Amino acid sequence: MKKGKLWLLLSLLVITAMLLTGCGGGGGEEKKAPEGEKAAEGGDIKIGFLGAKTGGHAAYGVETLKGMQMAAKDINDAGGINGKKIVIVEEDHGSKVSEGTTVTQKLITRDKVVAIVGDPTTGITKAAAPIAQQNKVVLLSAGAVGTGVVEIGDYIFRDTLLDAVAAPAVTKYLGEKLGWKKVAVITSMNNDYSVGLTKLFKEALAANKIEIVAEQSIQDGDQNFAAQVTAIKGKNPDGIIFTGYYTEGGLFMKEARKQGMKAVMVGGDGLLSDVLMKMGAEAVEGSMVYCGFAADEAKAGEKTKKFIEAYKAGNNNVLPDMFSAQGYDAVMLIADAIKAAGSDVPEKFRAELAKTKDWNGVSGTITFQENREPIKSPVFLLEVKEGKFAVKDTVEVK
Amino acid sequence: MDSFFSMFLNDYYIQVLTMLGIYLIGALGLNLITGVTGQLSFGHAAFLSIGAYTSAILSIKLQMPFALAILAGGLMAGLWGVLLGYPTLRLTGDYLGIATLGFGEIVRVVFLNMTITGGALGLAGIPRSATLTVVLFIVILTVWAMVRLENSRFGRSLVAIREDEIAAEAMGVNITTTKITAFAIGTFLAGISGGLYAHLIQYLNPSDFGFIKSFEFLTFIVLGGLGSIPGVILGTSVLTLAPEFLRFIADYRMMVYGLLMVFMMIVRPRGLLGGVQLSRIFSKKKAQQTGTSASGGAN
Repeated sequence: MKKGKLWLLLSLLVITAMLLTGCGGGGGEEKKAPEGEKAAEGGDIKIGFLGAKTGGHAAYGVETLKGMQMAAKDINDAGGINGKKIVIVEEDHGSKVSEGTTVTQKLITRDKVVAIVGDPTTGITKAAAPIAQQNKVVLLSAGAVGTGVVEIGDYIFRDTLLDAVAAPAVTKYLGEKLGWKKVAVITSMNNDYSVGLTKLFKEALAANKIEIVAEQSIQDGDQNFAAQVTAIKGKNPDGIIFTGYYTEGGLFMKEARKQGMKAVMVGGDGLLSDVLMKMGAEAVEGSMVYCGFAADEAKAGEKTKKFIEAYKAGNNNVLPDMFSAQGYDAVMLIADAIKAAGSDVPEKFRAELAKTKDWNGVSGTITFQENREPIKSPVFLLEVKEGKFAVKDTVEVK
Repeated sequence: MDSFFSMFLNDYYIQVLTMLGIYLIGALGLNLITGVTGQLSFGHAAFLSIGAYTSAILSIKLQMPFALAILAGGLMAGLWGVLLGYPTLRLTGDYLGIATLGFGEIVRVVFLNMTITGGALGLAGIPRSATLTVVLFIVILTVWAMVRLENSRFGRSLVAIREDEIAAEAMGVNITTTKITAFAIGTFLAGISGGLYAHLIQYLNPSDFGFIKSFEFLTFIVLGGLGSIPGVILGTSVLTLAPEFLRFIADYRMMVYGLLMVFMMIVRPRGLLGGVQLSRIFSKKKAQQTGTSASGGAN
């Protein structure tokens, strides 16, 4: 009995040892291959996908990847870039920060990608960006909107709509197109996103000479907003600027309608969820939410229309979301930078990418500022209509 | 030393191996609590996060030297280990498990709501100081310390507590002090592991230290063999490296990983090296070499 156990143990050890040496052996060969840029000459252009295919953020990652693959297909069908084909190297990090860094390292070291698209979340982008920066590989996030991303280094980019760009544009629209003169501002004090967005809106409101007649604070998790609604009701604002999330937004509007207020709510993409309608039901009819991309077949330009049709054809008629559109644009941006530089060496096309100006993509026009922060136009303003988000208007930036 | 590693290992392998080393330190800590002393802990990730945040904040805000920050992280985790251990170690089995699980969630939510930790936005900009050399050095030190500990008077009283608390008490072992000391050492190692983790990943987010991470550590040591140091090393290595070198099967990776776990638990219910100790393996091998031809024939 004891002997049998020992044999089992030894055989398991042998298997493990074989696996380990097999792994190590592969590494040895890898090392012999020429380094990054030399390998890229003549071969394919590899672009890495950093994102989750499993776990909590899987929905963002999968959509981004779909967009990237569509872009790669379009480029390759048109003959590739400078005679080379684009290959997307996909890897799953399961929504874990620690695996996100390992995947980034793998894409750079083993797959020798020239650029990485991802991660769709700010957190993992922040963990991955220092590695890309140290290895001089371009990292373009197609989803990160938080602060402190592009500051990590000059190889880090993003093609998302930033609140700092969207809030002033939307405010201007409210004043000029909708004729709003006085508003109430509601902030959720224990929500970083809300506090930040309120600051941006206040600056924009002052610049557009719209008066803030009432200011109220709530907390994420609150259920009863009777006091806040009573306080703003007497001031009779033209609209309510709500910078928090959808759950509180829906409940807040329900209370406002209950007290007889007619004003509608405007907010950022923190309100963009079907939960808003579940919480607010009829009370959120007419509420407006801005976001970076919405598929609107009627108003879309030719390029966007083609993208929407191609996406629908491959996905059972489902409309593409923001992540797939931005993933598509991310690959196209990198491809155009490589074309302009005439080289797929990151050191060279990085400069071209930084020069991107009024670039026309499927999710809008993108310009990289000097600090590599994107200015994206237009801002999509959605309106709740019959319990669904519909595109109300597109607001041009600048 | 690091340039020596990079001569024959590429950055990807170095990253994976460094991560393995960091997990090993934490797993050895949990092994002392759960494997050797037999106290079920579901809150190991919480101590990891305490160490990680403490050392990261010290490095960022006070520019403390790396070694000192790591040590402070370990001590802070150990301190909380004692504070938690004192009331809860009177509980046994499942009850202790649930109490530690609760503590883990509390810690995560506290970090999520503190301003100094960056809340849900996370803490970025931590210097990348945890190199393979440093981690390897600490791993060797930890393994050595654990082996010494297990063979000491203290280590034997831990095993006695695991086997039978009442009998151990009758033999004069101070149950409470011994358990808390083991808990303190285990959580100290978790803190060290967390500090190194912070200085490798360079970014911390409370969501990364949920109870799933605690369970991950538990699977490392259960699969390797509770209470066996070589078992913990093997279990952690297999489970940390498997997802990485199963990448070639892409989408089926986690399925195979799960299958691997089920299979191993069926074949070796006590863990890969359950009950095996380094010293005994060597003595057995010696016995085999000088032994009869029965085992030799099978060779």
